[in-house]
Amino acid sequence: MPESENNVEMLLSNKVSWLSDSGPEDDIAISSRIRLARNLEGIPFTISADPERLANTMSAIQVAIRKAGCFNLPLDFNLIKLKELDRKVLLERRLISREFVAERYGAGIVVNRDEDIGIMINEEDHIRIQALKPGFQLREVWEAINAFDDNLGKELPYAFDNDLGYLTSCPTNVGTGMRASVMLHLPGLVLSGQIYAVTQGVSKLGLAVRGFFGEGTENLGNLYQISNQSTLGESEEQIVDRLSTVIRQIIGHEKNARQALLEKKQEFLLNHVGRAYGILRHAYIISSEETLNSLSALRMGVDMGMFSSVDIHTVNELFVIIQPAHLQKYAKKELVSEERDVFRAALVREKLRTIDKNA
Amino acid sequence: MLCKICNKNPATIHIQEIVNGEKKSLHICAECAAKKSQSDPVLQGFNLAEMLYNLSGQIDMTQDEEHKEELSSAEPQNLLVCEDCGWDTAKFRKTGRLGCAKCYQVFREILTSALKNMHRGAMHVGKRPGGENNREAGKLMLEIMNLQKELDELVQREEYEKAAVVRDKINALKNNG
Ligand SMILES: [Zn+2]
Ligand SMILES: [Zn+2]
Repeated sequence: MPESENNVEMLLSNKVSWLSDSGPEDDIAISSRIRLARNLEGIPFTISADPERLANTMSAIQVAIRKAGCFNLPLDFNLIKLKELDRKVLLERRLISREFVAERYGAGIVVNRDEDIGIMINEEDHIRIQALKPGFQLREVWEAINAFDDNLGKELPYAFDNDLGYLTSCPTNVGTGMRASVMLHLPGLVLSGQIYAVTQGVSKLGLAVRGFFGEGTENLGNLYQISNQSTLGESEEQIVDRLSTVIRQIIGHEKNARQALLEKKQEFLLNHVGRAYGILRHAYIISSEETLNSLSALRMGVDMGMFSSVDIHTVNELFVIIQPAHLQKYAKKELVSEERDVFRAALVREKLRTIDKNA
Repeated sequence: MLCKICNKNPATIHIQEIVNGEKKSLHICAECAAKKSQSDPVLQGFNLAEMLYNLSGQIDMTQDEEHKEELSSAEPQNLLVCEDCGWDTAKFRKTGRLGCAKCYQVFREILTSALKNMHRGAMHVGKRPGGENNREAGKLMLEIMNLQKELDELVQREEYEKAAVVRDKINALKNNG
């Protein structure tokens, strides 16, 4: 089996560390992520480079990564050598962007075996480093990725301008080239009808709010990603601090909303959570939409101490592994939508049963 | 297609929304999008970079012949071209992307106002790349890249003996450099 394909199998046997490890505030903040965009000096950006140039750039970056020794256990993926299904697995694990699923020449990634840090090569920029940690710890993620970037920067000449900072293909990223984000689970604000006001408020502060699943306004699983938009005129620490202040406030709002539901609408809350658990434990056919929304309810129930036997990290992991590409890899064959719904239900039942046994 | 707000620049950002089951589209330019995203609730929460990116993927599918013509004939008198990478004003407006580092100088005028709208400041105040060894390593990397290119050409011309020599050079640089 070719190396890239082999590495996909290796990832599938992995527990995703940013979902399965504990972190601060991880009842509401699922993960903290930072990505840095970098380009190489004297080489055209990906968008204007010919295929040969892209291939050369990729191998040069791969060499630099090895020499910098910034990964403990690097896994290399040459995306063009992967089947589409395998590229979708990488997307579902948030290791690549949607644009990277399409066939692209000279596109590659290198990720640490733990999936806590990785590099996309020849995406919109030559280099996109991304680092992740469980829970709310943007500062720690920044420290990790900053050191990593220093190491890599010793091996590669970055395109940099004294006034404009790190030069990126899209002017919306120029300066720090940094996008910091925290994924928040906000079922309390959604159930109490406050989510719209909160997301509006966050947007007014110049931060972006996006649903984690689904496009546009449709949001499944009540997972929201809050990130900075501005990359120029503020230092990385300022961006992290400003974002962290807002995240802390949203976490506070979510806690209040949950507490209010518990005090004023207890039956409603118990019914909502209990039904979701019942469906997940006993359904034989379940769509991804219903699964994500039920998992969200179950996760809130676990956070609020209603299910001491269910492990929150298994619930987290289910959010990722019930997606179509993962299901088909586990099933070891292609599945049409109806088949996926059956296979998904079985996987969820099995996972939740295993948890109960361990309790 | 011209921007629906200023009616001046070509629309490079296409936003689609489903309102009461009806599909609505908004076609605007990057400049207006940046201004609008500060004040308009519809655009708030949209990530501008994302919008710009979506555009580059969608434009070929959504555009019919008429629009293609419009774009290619748009403001030919103001057409700036980057000497280093060949990127020009039309490509910049079409994709919202720049072609190389030099483009930041070539398109400085267009960029200055756009950057002001996108960001909280106009000057970089964050981290800077490290010191001298950075340059040395850079030279090594460029050398490897050039050799790689030479190698590809030699293989293509089936000059395998020369190719083997170049390959050894590359390996030596990778291992000892
Ligand atoms: Zn306009
Ligand atoms: Zn250029």
